[in-house]
Amino acid sequence: MKNIKIIILVACLNLMVRQSFSQSVNWASLKSNNKHIVHVTTGLDYGLVYGLGYSHKIKSQMPILLNISYSFTSGGKLFDDFKTKIGGQARLYSIGNFQFSASIYGIYRRYENTLVRLQNFGSEMTGVIGYYKPKWFVAGEVGFDKAIVTHFKHSENFKTDFPNTQDGWYEPSTGGNFNYGVQTGYSFKNSDLILKVGAVITQDFKTTPLIPYYFQLGYNYKFKQTKNK
Amino acid sequence: MTKKVFSLAIAATCILLMGCEKELKISESGNLVPKTVTEDLTLPTITVNGAKFHAEAFGHPDSTIILVLHGGPAADYRYLYNCKEFANQGFRVVFYDQRGTGLSQRFPKSHYTSLQQNYDDMTAIIAYYRTSATQKVFLLGHSWGAMLAGAYINTYPNAVNGAVLAEPGGLVWEDVKKYIKASQKMEITSEALNNATYIDQFITGKNDEHEILDYKFRMLASTGNETNITGDESPIAQWRPGAVFQNACLDIGNEQNPNWTTNLHLFTTKVLFIYSEKNSAYGLAHAQKVSAPFPNVALFKTMGAGHSMLSFPTGWNNTYPVMLNYFKSL
Repeated sequence: MKNIKIIILVACLNLMVRQSFSQSVNWASLKSNNKHIVHVTTGLDYGLVYGLGYSHKIKSQMPILLNISYSFTSGGKLFDDFKTKIGGQARLYSIGNFQFSASIYGIYRRYENTLVRLQNFGSEMTGVIGYYKPKWFVAGEVGFDKAIVTHFKHSENFKTDFPNTQDGWYEPSTGGNFNYGVQTGYSFKNSDLILKVGAVITQDFKTTPLIPYYFQLGYNYKFKQTKNK
Repeated sequence: MTKKVFSLAIAATCILLMGCEKELKISESGNLVPKTVTEDLTLPTITVNGAKFHAEAFGHPDSTIILVLHGGPAADYRYLYNCKEFANQGFRVVFYDQRGTGLSQRFPKSHYTSLQQNYDDMTAIIAYYRTSATQKVFLLGHSWGAMLAGAYINTYPNAVNGAVLAEPGGLVWEDVKKYIKASQKMEITSEALNNATYIDQFITGKNDEHEILDYKFRMLASTGNETNITGDESPIAQWRPGAVFQNACLDIGNEQNPNWTTNLHLFTTKVLFIYSEKNSAYGLAHAQKVSAPFPNVALFKTMGAGHSMLSFPTGWNNTYPVMLNYFKSL
């Protein structure tokens, strides 16, 4: 029964998710007719990664973007390690040029080496506060990435060494990391250039991942929606 | 539109929560890593120097002892089982997983303050298996185990009667660091680096969560499969690494910057020093440099093998007769 539920969830996510990465936008340059935004990113995110994403601005009183994104690692095997995200971000509060936004994502990610294949469902929450002008912005961000439930499938190599390995879904949470850093951007015409840098620390606040930093260089293209009729 | 999205999110959350029926926990021994001697009482165990060690001995108890020292430090003796063959040649072969690794007892990181504890463990294990004061003892160390053998001889030059050192990274810490850097070199765009780092978002463990850290270390060690700088045919067999012990040893080395060569001139017995053909991070020059402090050295190059030359058939078949002749000559 549990497996069926998880398969349903995977199927749902697969249907919904095409591409991903945490998209940053310049809220001040976002116009009412910018309904569709495409994101291209590269950077360090637990490894050298490349990403694609799409955001859709929905009609609402507060600016809300729905995001889907996909990122994959470099290396000899391009699609064995990847991360997909689906979620949204909203500008929750603003005073003059200072704005506060928050985002929440559901994550499906995969990792494979010669010993194991991991599939994980997780979540990511981020808060961003910054100073936004139509041409540029600078902001600070704090986020938390939780690996909620992970499926382990070990290779024959691994099982030769440890035949009693337990494959299956591991829960509760198998991990979690906080991140904090700054993001800045320059906006021109229908485009944003975005730079994010920061540090990562594990949820015990004592240890760090092997790459304790993140870095992202991104480009956003905002499509203008022409008025019908 | 907003309502649809929220409904979908709530549905997904419910499915996820309902899916959590039978729990497999990563923090539980026996799931992703085997149980240690403190959890599985059927494992061969000795208790010496205040710790439980996973240990086995083969051959006649009164025969000359060959104490096998595994590498890592976070490895275990499983990959050196070929050395059991010395028992058929009249030797007493003793294996043990070092304190904090393999299937031996785990300790918190604060437990490890110097390598003197490792020497004391060796002394206690030799004493445990020795049946008479005149029984000879040889050391057979591989990689970190060879460094440990060198360090032990440097500390107690009269304690053993011979030693085989197979590719120790170095006997002064600077050499060790250089060797580690050369043997673990990874390009930023490589699959090996991704394999080492990408897993950090799936699994995290606190400082002394041995089950999680040991498992992650096993995954990290597998990155060598992608780089193959050290020239091995395949990954070595292993029960369970000791990640905390590994990190503690590296911290001790970096803090104390040890030099294990200061008394080696007192050890005048011939030492057999082995290096491999296929380990591109080692080579003759490094072997000569590391072995130089011993006054009496026989250098041997194992052809057709990499760093784990004692584990795979070609390396073993090419090295075993040389080691056997050496031991028999002492």
